[in-house]
Amino acid sequence: MPIAAIEALIEVLGQSQVATVAETIDLVETQSAKLQCAVTNSIALSHGTHLFRQYLVMSLKQPGPEGKETSTQKNFDIVRQHLLRNGRLFAQRAKNARERIAVNGRRHIHDGETILTYGGSRVVGTLLGRAAEKHDFGHFVDDPIRFKVIYAIDPALETESNKVIAALRAKGVPVATIPATAVSYAMSKVDMVIVGADAVTANGGIIARLGTFQIAQLAKENKKQFVVAAEQHKFGKTFPCGQFDYGFDQGVIDFRAGSTSTSYNKIPKETLAKPIDYTKPDYVNMFIADHKVLTPSEVAKEVIDMLL
Amino acid sequence: MSTEPNGEPSQGAPQPKEQSSKSIQPPKGEKTGTAETPNALSGEKKLSGAELKKKAKEEKAAKRALAKASKEVAKGEAAVSSSPGQLGPSAGEVKGNKKGKQDATATAGSGAGGRPTPNRATPSMVAEQKATIPECFSHLPMAKRLPMTQADKSVHPAVLALGQQMATFTIDESINRLRATLLAFKRVIASYSTPAGHTLARHFTPHVLGPQIDYLTSCRPMCFSMGNAIRWLKLQISKIDMDSKEEDAKRDLCRAIDNFITERITAADEVITESGAKHIENGDVVLVYGRSSLVERTLLCAYSFGTNFSVFVIDDPYERAGQLLAKTLAAEGIKVTYCGDFGGLINHMRHATKVLFAADAMFSNGAMYARAGACDVALAANELEKEVITLCETINITERVATDSLTYNEIDPERCSAEAFRLLFDTTPVKYLNALITELGCVASKSAPILLRKLEEFN
Repeated sequence: MPIAAIEALIEVLGQSQVATVAETIDLVETQSAKLQCAVTNSIALSHGTHLFRQYLVMSLKQPGPEGKETSTQKNFDIVRQHLLRNGRLFAQRAKNARERIAVNGRRHIHDGETILTYGGSRVVGTLLGRAAEKHDFGHFVDDPIRFKVIYAIDPALETESNKVIAALRAKGVPVATIPATAVSYAMSKVDMVIVGADAVTANGGIIARLGTFQIAQLAKENKKQFVVAAEQHKFGKTFPCGQFDYGFDQGVIDFRAGSTSTSYNKIPKETLAKPIDYTKPDYVNMFIADHKVLTPSEVAKEVIDMLL
Repeated sequence: MSTEPNGEPSQGAPQPKEQSSKSIQPPKGEKTGTAETPNALSGEKKLSGAELKKKAKEEKAAKRALAKASKEVAKGEAAVSSSPGQLGPSAGEVKGNKKGKQDATATAGSGAGGRPTPNRATPSMVAEQKATIPECFSHLPMAKRLPMTQADKSVHPAVLALGQQMATFTIDESINRLRATLLAFKRVIASYSTPAGHTLARHFTPHVLGPQIDYLTSCRPMCFSMGNAIRWLKLQISKIDMDSKEEDAKRDLCRAIDNFITERITAADEVITESGAKHIENGDVVLVYGRSSLVERTLLCAYSFGTNFSVFVIDDPYERAGQLLAKTLAAEGIKVTYCGDFGGLINHMRHATKVLFAADAMFSNGAMYARAGACDVALAANELEKEVITLCETINITERVATDSLTYNEIDPERCSAEAFRLLFDTTPVKYLNALITELGCVASKSAPILLRKLEEFN
């Protein structure tokens, strides 16, 4: 979603007739706001648009060709063209991020380990898939890593999970599927938990599929590594104070009384299509991002450097 | 660490209660020679002749030591100071007072009538304070009410008045002290004219600004934000072009100060208030400690957003400022529960969902410097996994580091006796704090040093 938003913004910028720096920023902001209004859970989206806005400000601040200010008309046009070209590159780079995370993550998975994962993250899928492949660095060749995977299944995400599981099994990785209720039971067999995230918060926590937080708590309780694989464009300045501070209501907790029906509130009904929860940085051991591997406090530092 | 168990000053502070609350003096206030001469005199009479003599001697010795050490003392000081010193403190003090009053109202700052020696009380008071406070706490400063007459002659009347307000805790919150200080300095700049043969950039800081700062510091130890702002101001002064006209330079400086106040205090407060209010949700029970105007405004702002929440006020038993907060909030229609002290704190905390603090300063290790007792509240909140949110303007972030409450602190001048004293602040370790809301945004508390570095980049 963040990348789609960034691409949309670049498209708008290409079509528009803005002539000044202020107009450009203004346009990006109004369009971002429109995008955010269109979805209930706009956290990941806002991270993407905010990053792009910040990127624009940075580029526009820089002196144009011949070291002149961008505020002059001629220079602005040149910078704008440059920006559009680079903007596409920016989006392309974001798309390639998954592969680079796989390269960064590979050295953190070792022979004989058992990895537990949850949800349908494509980042994690790619990371595990590449780790099971032979990797040719040019000057030397890395053999496939022999590891096992325990996949905790969320019924709501079965299709996504099944894709990843099928791909891994095809590569010869032994995969066991367990219901999310069996995570605690299986935890002693696990060496490391790797999950993806919807968004990474300003303090180095994550916002991810509902259920991630409890797995993080179980991992910490069992002293297992809890690793998050997330691209840099998911970093943002959201800072939830607790589970209910997202700015929108998920409707997960729904009190009822007096009804004769025994049907319990199945989560997807009357709730957000993809409910989320927030995992505090205390529970995360490591982030594998596309540019490097970081600790939660390093993430916090990057967010401040990048976005404030 | 010995702090007093109850609010009443126990032994060693012989004044009646009304007096101690009206004028804040160290326990043996007779030598401070405040405006309340009759009280000072009555205190004086209790001393025997021998004691008086001894005290006069001590005073004289201390004065000499100080005169040697400090440059700011006027040239003729030594000669003048010796004679009233021998007259005995009472007579000398009364005289000085009367004269001083006239000075302050009429021509204060001109320094023509400032004959009663500038730093008279300082040495004796320092000596006295050291005697009551145990050696290991002697590094902790204490606010004291310096008579205006004893200020350096170059202290501006606006600063003199401010010093009194700070010493009496009339202006208490660090951000208000900062604002008042900057406004006073603006007036100092406006009334300044460069002497012949000097330039503003070189002359102003050491000869004019210096004494103002010294005076303010002697009234009440500077808060961290004042330190930060003064460093900034000195930098601005040093940047002034030597060749620029004095009028222009003064105008630019005043404008810079105005901008600084707008950006770092007024606008910052607005941003913090609003973003703090956004973190309060429907159904929240916000626990606050004592009263801070920033927290008060944040709660009112959240209420104006239409958020349905209630507030639990835990008060500082020594100040009871929380009562004011509770009244203000209740008058607006917010549901408030009030508790006057820490009794049942953990039980109250169970009902809370969030804890809101306003920091007096943030150390660069993320620790919070706030009203004494804040750490206890944060500890309880952490014990029950409650979210602790700190509100703080970035000007309050200092590059210093504190891991305990004794490195930087202040002694409560109203509760300081020979056997016990109370500290005004404490330091809350970063592990008990979750979010830090500044005008730059909401970050993790341990990111305070990153904000600091970011601010340096801006400048």
